[in-house]
Amino acid sequence: MSTPASDTTSLADPIRRSGLWRQLKRYPLVPLTILMLVLIIPAIFADLIAPYDPYQSHLRNRLAPPVFWGGSWEFILGTDRLGRDILSRIMHGARYALAISLVGIFLGAILGTFLGLLAGYRCGWTDIIVMRLVDISFALPSVLLALALAAVYGPSFQAVILVVVFVLWASFARQVRAETLSLRERDFVARARVVGCGHTRILFRHILPNVVNTVVVMATLQIGVVVLLEATLSFLGIGIPRPTPAWGLLVADGRQLVVSAWWISFFPGMAILFTVLSINLLGDWLRDRLDPKLRQV
Amino acid sequence: MRRFLVIRFLQALLALWVITIIVFGLSHLTGSPIDALLPDDASPEQIDNLIRHWGLDRPYHVQYLTFLGNALQGDFGESLKWRGQSALGVVLQRLPATLQLGGLAILISVVVAIPLGVMAAVRKGTTLDASANVIALLGQSLPTFWLGIILIWVFAVGLGWLPTSGYGGITYMILPAVAMAWFQIAALTRLTRSAMLEVLDAEYVKLARLKGVPEWQIVWKHALRNAAIVPLTYFGVLAGSILTGSVVIETVFAWPGTGWLAIEAIRGRDFPVVQTVVLVFAVVYLGLNFIVDALYAYVDPRIRYD
Amino acid sequence: MPTNRNHLTRRALAGVAALAIIATLGLPAVAQTADRVVIALDPPSTETNRFWTTSGGFGGIDPAFERLVGNDPVTGAYDNSGLAERWEVSDDFTSWTFYIHPEAEFHFGWGPVTAADVAHSHALHSGPDSTLTGVQSLRGAEIEIIDDKTIRFTFEEPRIDFDFANAGRGSLYIYSKAQYDAEGLEGYDRQPAGTGHYQYVESSPGQIVFARVEDHWSGFQPDFAELEFRFTNEAATKLALLLSGEAHAANLPRELQDEALADGKVIISSQNPGKQVVLIPNGLYQSEGDPAHKPDLPWADIRIREAMNRALDRDTIVDAIFAGRAEKLVRYGMHEPHEGFAPELVERFEEMYGYDPERAKELLAEAGYPDAFPDPVIPIISTVSPGSPEYPTLAELVQIYFEEVGFQTEIREMDWASVGAAGRGRAAYFINPVQNSPIRPSNVALSNTFLPTGSPYHGYEDDRIIELTNEVNRTLDTEAREALIREAFSYVYEQYADMPMVSLAAEIVVDPEVIAGWTYPGVTSNGFSHWQLIEAAGQ
Repeated sequence: MSTPASDTTSLADPIRRSGLWRQLKRYPLVPLTILMLVLIIPAIFADLIAPYDPYQSHLRNRLAPPVFWGGSWEFILGTDRLGRDILSRIMHGARYALAISLVGIFLGAILGTFLGLLAGYRCGWTDIIVMRLVDISFALPSVLLALALAAVYGPSFQAVILVVVFVLWASFARQVRAETLSLRERDFVARARVVGCGHTRILFRHILPNVVNTVVVMATLQIGVVVLLEATLSFLGIGIPRPTPAWGLLVADGRQLVVSAWWISFFPGMAILFTVLSINLLGDWLRDRLDPKLRQV
Repeated sequence: MRRFLVIRFLQALLALWVITIIVFGLSHLTGSPIDALLPDDASPEQIDNLIRHWGLDRPYHVQYLTFLGNALQGDFGESLKWRGQSALGVVLQRLPATLQLGGLAILISVVVAIPLGVMAAVRKGTTLDASANVIALLGQSLPTFWLGIILIWVFAVGLGWLPTSGYGGITYMILPAVAMAWFQIAALTRLTRSAMLEVLDAEYVKLARLKGVPEWQIVWKHALRNAAIVPLTYFGVLAGSILTGSVVIETVFAWPGTGWLAIEAIRGRDFPVVQTVVLVFAVVYLGLNFIVDALYAYVDPRIRYD
Repeated sequence: MPTNRNHLTRRALAGVAALAIIATLGLPAVAQTADRVVIALDPPSTETNRFWTTSGGFGGIDPAFERLVGNDPVTGAYDNSGLAERWEVSDDFTSWTFYIHPEAEFHFGWGPVTAADVAHSHALHSGPDSTLTGVQSLRGAEIEIIDDKTIRFTFEEPRIDFDFANAGRGSLYIYSKAQYDAEGLEGYDRQPAGTGHYQYVESSPGQIVFARVEDHWSGFQPDFAELEFRFTNEAATKLALLLSGEAHAANLPRELQDEALADGKVIISSQNPGKQVVLIPNGLYQSEGDPAHKPDLPWADIRIREAMNRALDRDTIVDAIFAGRAEKLVRYGMHEPHEGFAPELVERFEEMYGYDPERAKELLAEAGYPDAFPDPVIPIISTVSPGSPEYPTLAELVQIYFEEVGFQTEIREMDWASVGAAGRGRAAYFINPVQNSPIRPSNVALSNTFLPTGSPYHGYEDDRIIELTNEVNRTLDTEAREALIREAFSYVYEQYADMPMVSLAAEIVVDPEVIAGWTYPGVTSNGFSHWQLIEAAGQ
């Protein structure tokens, strides 16, 4: 694979203008606030702040509209087909969004980083095997495979995590390998080797700390990818099983009523939109700080 | 250089071979096709007949070798769901529809993303840069199926400008292609922007400026020409994600391509068709990436051949 | 170096663009004629012109084909609107003789319909590669071609329902032997000749087009010159097709119908109920010595089954899931026009099955739930069955009701084929929905539901009901059958063998500016038939 040229311009460039946007970019208050409001606070305090139990059904108030659309303050964002409160479901859904992203990305990043380090450092057959695995995992339409498996074994939380790991690990491996390749030629690694450090020590004490920034930046940006992936899986009927209020499932479930009871899918959709958008803006900012070399696509 | 290409080619073949094993193994893990094929009240005799007919009673390695041998000759078996047609026939019949849609989606993303990325680079740090970023990111922040449904409601039902769904002329393609492309635009915009930033800093651009070449010429002619190589390398990835995206978009828009086909085949436990779709996707992906690698190696001989 | 690079990049980009443009232009424009009626439907489960390789449900080629026995468009009763102008059955129900309409003829000049065509079609449909539901009822026939227009099927044992097997939900389309002899199966794949009011024109993925047969043998001429099916899985997309005017009729989930109604569209229902929906406490293989029998399943206890029934508020279910357009079902398989209808079950329904959460809680306490059971969790299947988009929401609502009275539940998502596979493997230890569509003759329903050889989606078995069902199938005397079937229905009713939910008509939403009416009885698996009776508006 080709090694991308370095992109240092974003830091090297002298600050010429100081518009509002630049300020925000330096201190990413807006995305951070949004993220706290939409994802993190609800995820932690859902039990305390959600007005209702997300599974509780108010059968007399099925498909109640949101308060500003002729509804009442009882159900601020309206209710779904079975009279469950949308706001409460979104708040609890934040938990699943966060849990899936954290667990999936964590596992994917660890696996990818480990294999990437190994491939980049050992070269030879290890490298060939790992890189071919990377090729394969990119070439396989993972969503289709997941669909085929889920058709039989049924969807589950674990299956979603598995798909996330499968989709993510390869990009981590590729990026980490590229960096390791260049690091191992560097002086400090050579010096460590001369001093007589073992391979494990060199890998984990000298090389790993230098790729951690890249991994952190990538991991942050992947949160958006994972939230959307979960939605796609739910659309295909292989996401988090119902009646769990996962965001993707909420949007997928409400999509049929997108005109008459638009609020069922609209508000969870907005939760996804704001989360992913702010994650990406934050990730950009982090990248400029931590790892200007990384060209994220 | 030739050696590099040969190695890349062999590597792609190796990957493909492993993929055949994975595909074969997975499709046999995913339950027997008789579950979907036989009537509710099938007799044991009927079940046995079908199992024998499809060779499902033979050992796995025999089934795999038969599968591989036949696949090499372009025979992926008979479709179980589309009776009377070969699996490859069914897939190839629908492939053009997916390629048309994918082609248009790529075209749209290029036409939108490259100017957007260039402008963002030239006006780096301004509101324009930021808005370009946000517009591009919007597409990456919505579930595609939902975006698709909203597009249908706004442009087909509400405004009546375009048909809702189905297969037909260019008008039928616009909505699904836009839904598909938008997701890609963000990535391509960012790539173009960063490549342009790099090039705009280069010596020859500075030289051109000193010589008094008009700024628009510098940007759109000299700089872009050289920066465009970076997004080009992204086409392999782009094509891959478009194939995967087709699964969702084609279902929403009832666009009879391979993505929709794959879903139907999985629901119907149509092993041969599922295997063929996955392999065709893999071949297309590996093939495109090989071409991109070759182009890249040709254009920039400095890259590492590893 | 830059020149080289520029050149190549530019070319590559131009290439991509050119490819995309070429690809785009190579598309056919879809011909739209004013005289074509477009119907958006769920895709058939198997897309083929060889009907016998499907499950025998809705075949995409339906408008082009006919069966021996017709159905009256209003009552659904068997009549001579099919290919047989009359038929006779021997007193012992072992011999069926069909007399074919003398004028009946195939499309595309393949000649008149003869007994040989019927024998040929029967051979295809009962052959080894047939995957039809109900293929058993076609097999085992000895065929005698009496003359060109007369054919006799003789069986070793009585076949009381051979007329059902040859009517709407039956599985025997009459294909042309002449076409087969000349062109083989490829001929069927390319352009199958049937005898229906519409003839096959072309199909492409997701679409089939038919054209009206001018001077059809029956003398009836449909209003629309062309008929097109547009297959779409996404319900929202089907609704969009209808609202944008691209389709003139669509089968929509009930929850989407209101939206179409608000836009001035109208619902045309089948003349009769076309479907019964039930929740099955599956996996009760209680026959003596059955190794699959699990006596410690919670729902193996009749009190638990009664509690499940008592926990359900069927009125709200009808409103919330079926948009209020459904009847509460009393006994699955029982249907007033059919044999063995027991009005006392209807009368006792509130008393036996009525919504009573308090009684349900008492029953649970009596049964010692949950402590008395090793695994008290009740798995409820959420599945998507063709033509039943309501099942996932139904599963969620049932879960809510169950938990209200103290059941521990979990929802298991499974696709339809996997539910069947579990049943076929006799390991379906869960609660699953299933439908009887169309509503079958009582004895067919009983056999499907309670015999181990019946449908795998059902799993209530015990020696008594198996014996009763077999007895019904052996009995020929009308009065004795009536009494036996009634007894069987009463028995399973009292056993709380399942949770009857609703009985409902097939419904299609049409654009009244294009379609003025459509009379169809609701006797096929998706309910639709009699395509020739779709009336054009303003004519």
